[in-house]
Amino acid sequence: MQVDFNAPYKNRVQQALNDPNLRVAVSKATDRMTDARLASMDAVEGQKLRSQVRQMKQHVLRNWPDYLQQLESNLTRNGCTVHWAEETEDAQNIVRDIALQNSAKLVVKSKSMATEEIHLNHALEEVGLRVVETDLGEYIIQLADEPPSHIVAPVIHKRLEEIAEVFQDKLDMPPTREPTKMTSLARARLRQEFFAAGMGISGCNFAIAETGAICIVTNEGNGRMVSSMPRVYVVVMGIEKLVPTVEDAFLQLQALCRSATGQNLTVYCSMTSGPRQEGDVDGPEQVHVVLLDNGRSRMLARGYGEALLCIRCGACLNACPVYQEIGGHAYGSTYNGPIGAVITPALAPEISRFKELPHATSLCGACREACPVKIDLPRLLLDLRSDLVQENASPKTEAWGIKSYASLMSSRRMYESLGKMASIGSNLYAGMSGGNIKFMPPPLNGWTAYRDFAPFAPKSFRQWWKERSKLRGQT
Amino acid sequence: MSARDTILSRLRETLRQPHLPFPPAHSDPLTHAERMTVTHAEGDPWTLAERFAQELTAVKGSCELLETETEARLSIISRLQLWVEEEQAARKTAEAERAGDYDVLSWPLEQLGIESLPLILKEIGFKLIEPTDLHDPQQRERIRPIRAGITTVEAAFASTGSFVVGGRGANARAASLTPFRHLVVIPFSKLYATGEEWLAQMRHAGRLDDYLRQSRNLSIITGPSKSADIEGNLTMGVHGPKVVHAILFDDLQQ
Amino acid sequence: MHKATFEQRPNRVALFVTCMVDMLYPGVGIATCELLEKNNVEVVFPEEQTCCGQPAFNAGYRNEARKLARRFLSIFGPLVENGEVDAIVAPSGSCATMTSHFFEVLFEESREEELRRQAERLASVTFELTEFLVDVLGLANTGARLQGKAAYHPCCHLYRELGVDDQPRKLLDGVEGLEVVDLPHADDCCGFGGLFSIKNSGISAAMGRAKARSAQQCGADAIALCDVSCMTHINGILSREGISCRAHHIAEILNNHLGNSLRPPSQPEPQQPDHPRRWGD
Repeated sequence: MQVDFNAPYKNRVQQALNDPNLRVAVSKATDRMTDARLASMDAVEGQKLRSQVRQMKQHVLRNWPDYLQQLESNLTRNGCTVHWAEETEDAQNIVRDIALQNSAKLVVKSKSMATEEIHLNHALEEVGLRVVETDLGEYIIQLADEPPSHIVAPVIHKRLEEIAEVFQDKLDMPPTREPTKMTSLARARLRQEFFAAGMGISGCNFAIAETGAICIVTNEGNGRMVSSMPRVYVVVMGIEKLVPTVEDAFLQLQALCRSATGQNLTVYCSMTSGPRQEGDVDGPEQVHVVLLDNGRSRMLARGYGEALLCIRCGACLNACPVYQEIGGHAYGSTYNGPIGAVITPALAPEISRFKELPHATSLCGACREACPVKIDLPRLLLDLRSDLVQENASPKTEAWGIKSYASLMSSRRMYESLGKMASIGSNLYAGMSGGNIKFMPPPLNGWTAYRDFAPFAPKSFRQWWKERSKLRGQT
Repeated sequence: MSARDTILSRLRETLRQPHLPFPPAHSDPLTHAERMTVTHAEGDPWTLAERFAQELTAVKGSCELLETETEARLSIISRLQLWVEEEQAARKTAEAERAGDYDVLSWPLEQLGIESLPLILKEIGFKLIEPTDLHDPQQRERIRPIRAGITTVEAAFASTGSFVVGGRGANARAASLTPFRHLVVIPFSKLYATGEEWLAQMRHAGRLDDYLRQSRNLSIITGPSKSADIEGNLTMGVHGPKVVHAILFDDLQQ
Repeated sequence: MHKATFEQRPNRVALFVTCMVDMLYPGVGIATCELLEKNNVEVVFPEEQTCCGQPAFNAGYRNEARKLARRFLSIFGPLVENGEVDAIVAPSGSCATMTSHFFEVLFEESREEELRRQAERLASVTFELTEFLVDVLGLANTGARLQGKAAYHPCCHLYRELGVDDQPRKLLDGVEGLEVVDLPHADDCCGFGGLFSIKNSGISAAMGRAKARSAQQCGADAIALCDVSCMTHINGILSREGISCRAHHIAEILNNHLGNSLRPPSQPEPQQPDHPRRWGD
């Protein structure tokens, strides 16, 4: 069964948990990527690499507007056109206008989370453009009409058989289970699109402020195709995706590749610094760079600036035991996993729009350990929970429960009587159900739906202590 | 106020707040002196070339190391010849030979400095296709079926088996991208221990900034195109070349 | 985090027993107490103590958490500051994390600098039990004996926030007769996560079942761990799934509370454990 992206949170999670294929596919792939990351980080001075990239990115954020202006002026000097977009719709309009002005009919796209974030495909399709995703995984989910479920491995949630079905249903491919055959077919189909497309769109893994260059990394080569073949090339980049120098870019590139897939370097890192000039054989005639805020400045102001260090490697998703159980779609947001649970609400106009996400975590800290820039994700998730309480977005019963608990715990007398009552009550109740408690009333039925509960101890530790002290003649 | 000014002033205002949780008020840049080199390689050019070969092979590319320009010329010719035979054999039909079999999408090979290479290739029947404008529909169609491409490099890095191709002037980006097989010729003089070393030398010579600006496009390539998107199964040649063969030759002897 | 070093071996500590141990698992508190006393450390139990406030903090109710944090500091602070005790010891990595990491977060946020500094001072002398036994007392062996196979599960706060991992493993290795096996995917969270276990009970339970599968895979009779909260969750799952393996707090293993053997006896056990076992086994 598939996860219905538009269903309420609880239902999405339940659908995900009910899907046996999902867990197998996701945990197999995430384990593989985690092993590759660990091996590749261990092969170099991984800790130093993480500290250095963090230091570099932190410095960028401290001097953020300056670097943005430097990037803008260098891009302009190189012949690129720079656009600024405050919100989703602004970015959609900018890209739509570029397409219409150039009478583009067909758009080829290289995988990009920023364009997913602004639902760009939909916006372009609305004005009659055909938009084709060209990353193999992204192509498959576009055919299946699903959003990506992982930052770097969009079709991580599907098993081979399911992918084969997509190829059969949508591309009339004869039945096959051979990944190479499916890949060949995709290559042939997409090659047509690359040669015919009037416009290419990509995201940006990082932009170099010092020289004005846009870098995208891919393993398949679609990033190079998209940025080289069509006459018009549009880059949609989050305004935080900046590095000061080319040396910084090379450092971050390596941290990114190692953390994402465990490679030393991905197959292609393509840096575009401007449009084709007189005498060049190929390359786009126009390069447009859309600098997208869409909540990033809001996120900084709200105190979640640390999450702007993120380089979108997906390592925290792979390390996350929650993500392993439910995959990406259950989160119901463009960004998922631990980083998604932080930035989705932090970017949104109101944090409470995604009030489930900061709670979709056991706060185990595996994400922080995996993060190439050491973002303290558990801490940010805790901060978000606090903000939700401040905004009165938490359930009333929960607020009442926590407040009563805090008052009870503020008094030793009340605490001790509560303990005694709980002990008598739970033991009576447990006795009736054969030793352990198998059912509790709401909201504690969340516990007993899946687990037993042992009754409170007949005699508390403090009673034991008191009795012992008495025996020893102490008070 | 324009979107630009709104965004920039919003950021400036936020960063002025005294109790902003992040970033810390003192966030030093990473200096050139402290920035680490991630992967390492060292030794004479031959040692570096061997390391390059080892790394490229590890990512499913292939490699030959040659002592002289003459040997390199021979290797280039026989590799292209071999590829034609492989293509024809793969088709397994009576009309195995096709008009375009000997087409090679090429950078101007004079820049390789290998004497009379283009001439010899032409003599034995290869057609070196050097397009001038790939936005011209006719030229575009012309290169579309071509199965082999040949280029040289801006630089190559031994520690990762990577090479850098530029995309300006007569050097088509397509030559290392659209064909099924890419033959890359790397003289030892372009081989560096690491990417960091290449950047440091360019920076030191004061060429880095202008070089990057004027490059329009630079691609660091590490092996043939691949994907693991279909349930972790590695498949090669998704969009870029499925075969990447490097010929390294010692041009430092003379 | 800065941890105090002791010029002289500490001889008196305040026990922060934690509310869960107090009310649900007194045996763990007794074992903790006895382990310390056996090693010539006098235990003081401040009876005013209740809960550190973690449930409130975890759920985002920081004002409520601060109320309990202030209370905690007012009870334990003077003991440390007047030199009545040398350290605070807790048989829980999670509660120790709350008092020694998150209290500072709470008071930094409310800009109560005095309290933040007090929290910081207390943090430097607050130890999780095994951390105290190994790092401070220099123990490698508690003289415990137990037949059977046990696997160690590193609870997340202990492992990732406090960085305590070798200490409990070392003490388990010192238990005579105990075969310690590796738990597959040991450092994966068990799925408890406080409020998470109720709010996202389905995911929490799925993670718990993954932990249970790991326990079965390595053939352990018991999972040893240092937090009763995770223990409650894991045992709740094991019991519901009908798996005989059980999680036990390390203090009970180290203090011989579990009898001679982890395996159910084929004939009546020659010697009954001193303290009643829980979870119906």
